Amino acid sequence: MAWGDDEERRYGGEEEEDELDENDYKTQKDAVLFAIDVSASMLQPPPSSDDKKSDKDSAVVAALKCAHQFMQQRIIAQPKDMMGILLFGTEKSKFRDDTGSRSGSGYPHCYLFTELDVPGAEDVKKLRDLVEEGEDADEVLVPSKEPVLMSNVLFCANQIFTTNAANFGSRRLFIITDNENPHGNDKQAKSSAAVRAKDLYDLGVTIELFPVSRAKKPFDLSKFYDDIVYRSSVEEGDNPEGVKTSRSGDGLTLLNSLISNINSKQTPKRSYFSRMPFELAPGLTITVKGYMPLHQQKPARTCYVWLGGEQAQLAQSETTKVDSEARTVEKSEIKKAYKFGGEYIYFTPEEAKSLKELDTKVLRIIGFKPLANIPMWASVKKSTFIFPSEDGYVGSTRVFSALWQKLLTSKKVGIAWYVARKNANPVMVAVIPSGSLNDEDEDSTAPYLPAGLWLYPLPFADDIRSVEIKTSTKPADELTDKMREIIQNLQLPKATYNPLKYPNPALQWHYKILQAMALEEDVPDALDDLTVPKYRQIDKRVGAYMAEWKQELADKAKEFMQLRATKRELEEDDAEERPRLAKRPKTAAGSASSGGQMSNAELKAAWENDTLKKLTVAVLKDILTSKGISTTGKKVDLLERLEQWIEEHA
Amino acid sequence: MADKESTVYVVDLGESMADCHNGRVESDLDFGMRYVWDKISDTVATSRKTWTIGFVGFNTDETENELADKDKLEGYDNISVLQPIGPMSMTELRELRSKVQPSRSYGADPVSAAVVALKMLEKYNPKHKIKRRVILVTNGESNIDDEELDHIAAVFNEFKVELIVIGIDFDDADYGFKEEDKSTNKKNNEKALQQLVEKCNDGVFGTMQQAVDELSIPRIKPVRPFKAYDGPLTLGDPDKYPSAISFHVERYYKTKRASAPSASTVVVSNNNGFSQSQTYKDEDGDSEMGGAEFSGVKQMRTYKVNDPDAPGGKRDVDFEELAKGYQYGRTVVPFGESDLSITKYSTKKSFTIIGFVPFDSYNPFINMGETGLIVPQKMNEEAELGLSAFIHALYEADSYAVARYVQKDEAAVQILLLKPNTGLEDEFECLYDVPLPFAEDIRSYQFPPLDKVLTVSGRVLKEHRLLPNDDLKDAVSDFVDAMDLSKYDVDEDGKPVDYAPVDEVYNPIIHRMNQAIRARAVDPDLPIGQPAEILLRYSKPPKKLLEKAKHEIGNLIDAAELKKVPEKAKGRFGKKDAVKPLSGLDIDSLLGGQPKRAAISSENAIPEFKQMLAAAEDDETIEKAVKQMGEIVRKLIKDSFADVFYSRAAENLGVMREELLGFEMPMLYNKLLRALKKSLLSGELDGDRREMWYKHIVGGGLGLITKEELDVSDVTEEEAKAVSTWFFHSE
Repeated sequence: MAWGDDEERRYGGEEEEDELDENDYKTQKDAVLFAIDVSASMLQPPPSSDDKKSDKDSAVVAALKCAHQFMQQRIIAQPKDMMGILLFGTEKSKFRDDTGSRSGSGYPHCYLFTELDVPGAEDVKKLRDLVEEGEDADEVLVPSKEPVLMSNVLFCANQIFTTNAANFGSRRLFIITDNENPHGNDKQAKSSAAVRAKDLYDLGVTIELFPVSRAKKPFDLSKFYDDIVYRSSVEEGDNPEGVKTSRSGDGLTLLNSLISNINSKQTPKRSYFSRMPFELAPGLTITVKGYMPLHQQKPARTCYVWLGGEQAQLAQSETTKVDSEARTVEKSEIKKAYKFGGEYIYFTPEEAKSLKELDTKVLRIIGFKPLANIPMWASVKKSTFIFPSEDGYVGSTRVFSALWQKLLTSKKVGIAWYVARKNANPVMVAVIPSGSLNDEDEDSTAPYLPAGLWLYPLPFADDIRSVEIKTSTKPADELTDKMREIIQNLQLPKATYNPLKYPNPALQWHYKILQAMALEEDVPDALDDLTVPKYRQIDKRVGAYMAEWKQELADKAKEFMQLRATKRELEEDDAEERPRLAKRPKTAAGSASSGGQMSNAELKAAWENDTLKKLTVAVLKDILTSKGISTTGKKVDLLERLEQWIEEHA
Repeated sequence: MADKESTVYVVDLGESMADCHNGRVESDLDFGMRYVWDKISDTVATSRKTWTIGFVGFNTDETENELADKDKLEGYDNISVLQPIGPMSMTELRELRSKVQPSRSYGADPVSAAVVALKMLEKYNPKHKIKRRVILVTNGESNIDDEELDHIAAVFNEFKVELIVIGIDFDDADYGFKEEDKSTNKKNNEKALQQLVEKCNDGVFGTMQQAVDELSIPRIKPVRPFKAYDGPLTLGDPDKYPSAISFHVERYYKTKRASAPSASTVVVSNNNGFSQSQTYKDEDGDSEMGGAEFSGVKQMRTYKVNDPDAPGGKRDVDFEELAKGYQYGRTVVPFGESDLSITKYSTKKSFTIIGFVPFDSYNPFINMGETGLIVPQKMNEEAELGLSAFIHALYEADSYAVARYVQKDEAAVQILLLKPNTGLEDEFECLYDVPLPFAEDIRSYQFPPLDKVLTVSGRVLKEHRLLPNDDLKDAVSDFVDAMDLSKYDVDEDGKPVDYAPVDEVYNPIIHRMNQAIRARAVDPDLPIGQPAEILLRYSKPPKKLLEKAKHEIGNLIDAAELKKVPEKAKGRFGKKDAVKPLSGLDIDSLLGGQPKRAAISSENAIPEFKQMLAAAEDDETIEKAVKQMGEIVRKLIKDSFADVFYSRAAENLGVMREELLGFEMPMLYNKLLRALKKSLLSGELDGDRREMWYKHIVGGGLGLITKEELDVSDVTEEEAKAVSTWFFHSE
């Protein structure tokens, strides 16, 4: 049995690099339970308005829409993580029908709308029908006449997490409500709720409050929720801005406001490494934690499905290692060896370990350089974000902060030797600051990323490809000037590339189709691909400039072509006098230039004069190779391909 | 083609080569062969049939070469072809190793041996089309007939063969090596060899010390440029708008991550006579090494589905019964093999500009990977002029372009940032490109600000223990400036040069592994050596720089006032600060107001256990709580259908482990775990519960608490390991 292949734990090899907090016995999964308050005020539709930007949704519908979007994002980005929806304050009550130790009546006015689980197609559909179509056949969205006990809601959530998300690394309860004081002056009810909240805290469940406020009135936490919500220590800073109230206004609908608040909590903060010693100099070490805010998302891989039962079922695979005679191999027998010259070269495990272990886990500054000294092409891999923590050295945060400020003001970077964890390969990194010192302009370069330091991997000499290409063109100043105007007129919005505006079309399409198939709906036939440039706008804004520029380019190119041709002729005249070069193969077309060296103009001329077919196969292949076109096939094929190319390009 | 090459090594095996000279503890032969073996193993590593090697020994006891044997020429005695030219694998390497031994002979002419090599090369490949060279290694004690040198050099030149002479303790003024008290004899021979090399068009003359020293400098495998894209780069849509601009460009890779050699998983098929320091054949498991061999390991997959009727709740299914599919959340969507592609977003090869952004809106840390390089199509005047103007215009407008890139039809869409390189530094114009992230690639993590502290009540503090004061800021600033690498090193002319530039820093793991593998291949009995200095050179700040910045470092250490957190800060009873909600309400006092919990309930076990421990005032209470939790865990496992309650049981164990670590009472946990294992083994928890043990307890890091982890534990690492291992014979 292959117990080593534990799929539950997201261990990453060198290539996968999934997050992993050492010494954490919990599986690195996240479970989020939405608890949405279904009260009369939450259900009240917004005042009608002609303004297109005004609210259309009641707070409950906005919250459910938010949950719907959250669910779909989760399926794409965190396919192993769970989510559930608990409505509270409902007239109806529903908990689990068959499992669990309590019957539905245990939690009056709590309605478990979506069981906490990895979301499935039916969950998406049920939720969408409710929010988009307003199909509420079960009359779920009816507020109860008597108030719900918050202690019941919290204990209900407790039970859902205990049974469905046991041993999860991250468990979060999102409470969405507009009621700052659900129990008025009822001390008993208040303290029961506080006790249940403490239970959740001890269970490791984080409560995130998303207050909703219709009017400009602030949501007063001190009335009730200050006893419910816990805040991690200042250093952790999961809630740097405190609790954010969602409201409509300032051109933002309640829905958008809520979405933006909830989206910032989409992914639980998982550290990539912790307690990393950051050596600034000998005798000066602070501790940092590492995070991966950038991670390339790819569509999930295919799986195997068993269709023999009533429902299609995922087949779980187990791997066994076997030798050449198909005998199962025990773990203790397995050795690692390197192929070399047709044989295996073997090192003992101790030797292999010592070979890999060039250094312990460390981030060590070897000095500083101006940011400008990092070559613009020096990029190989995404960067890792680091943030100080006080758990190894008290005072780490202030030293880190001072370093961050200094690097920002002097536009400098640290150069460091970095070993991400025991046995990881060492790499050189540039330590680059993000963010801004000025409160007024929130970092203009990457507002969607946190302020701190980044470990930017530098290429090694081994990673650099030598591309020897000679370009000798002298730019034409008029062309450059005109092009500059075009460039200045086509700046991206806010003069920045904001990745959040560019969803990956491959991912979007994959899950759109998959969703349609899973819900047995019609498959859409097109995708609104936001990465496609706004062609019409480009034409409208700079079309005239571009047309002008093209004309000028054509003229200049002609001059240049002639210049080149003359020069070549001169060289050829020269060459013919030299006997050493006389052996050069003459082309059948009569031109002395060998195929790969024929300019586009010459090719075009040869095509127009119908002399291409006089070229030999060798010369043709030469030309085709130089254009990056296939050289397979007979002479007719080659000619056809070349003619087609000339037609399109020359 | 330059890709093929033949090299013949000509090595002095005379009796004087067995001696040690100039304070070395290894013989001249071993010293010289360090270089030769390294070169040969480099060739073996490539496994290329077109890189061939031959080996000629001179001053051998035997005479074995065509010129003496067949042509009966004089002056070719004591020269032996130890390996004819051919591809080199481990078999040949091993054979050659057994033959390279110092002899008891002397008196052969090294130049005659070189001529034997020349003949071999000429015979092996008479067409001159491949790169051919002779590498001669000697200590210069063998006499040379210097009358024929002109003639022999002419043959080398005619055959276009390179001659490399590397002498042991030869003088080299450039490298700064000079042997004192050199014999006149050696002086003359050295001179003759130098003359010969100088007469050759393609010749190198050097001293072995330099060759051996340079072995530690990593050699980088050259990779041919790969053209990733050849087609138009457009601004606007040429199909729809006549105004659209299009350049024909070519895109190559500028950086590509090189990876270290990866190990294969193998087993020793047969345990007889297996010795760990030997290498073995892998051809279909046949061995020439007598008895032991390695063979590759394959993965075999089996598939299971849930089946409530099957024992353990799961049963095996045949691979043939399975269809392919995708997961949409927990829903599986089966697809026929032919339908799988419909979820693939169909794309057409294209490269088109989305818009422009100013230089200062970009930060390198948003790069997602490797760099590309874009140049105009060759001999295409419009593309050359157009792209050149584009590059210069970007540069003048302080702008980068953002482009949508599809490498070929049906390839994934990428967003690239195009950066202008006007050729000021590297003498050629191009665009460099780096991939940018999509919306889905960004995870929004929240962090507190670094330059202020927000209190719970919402106040903003600018002075706080987490924030640097002015002294610290100044100290850091001075330190950073003092540790500047860009000006600290100077070149020969005294001009400052950048320290540790990208192209001088080698990947330490790749070269460490390669060097170790080569060394082991040549001599399996040698222990692995230390990593070469050059590989670790950049792992620490340069000494000189530290010396220079000593004052600033000292100041910074003083200003930082760092305090190391002691290993175990947690104490026993009541020392922990009670956790409080935002309001600061003391929940424990609310709890305290209730009658004391007599028993821990299974459904709310973790909070109740923690609260019971927090309120505990004596060991007895803790023991009682642990005992109850133990029962809850056993019941969960016992009641578990298949694995449904395993995670819950594991979570309860984990909480207990953590808390008992904090209370420094590891014995309680260890006792409980040993008892649990016994129960799991005996089957008293209803059936086969091995998965609980391996996957959740051992795999989840919930094993015994060892002495290493906590001083007061009496369990050793070995003991914990032994307990973790399941006894398979009990099946």
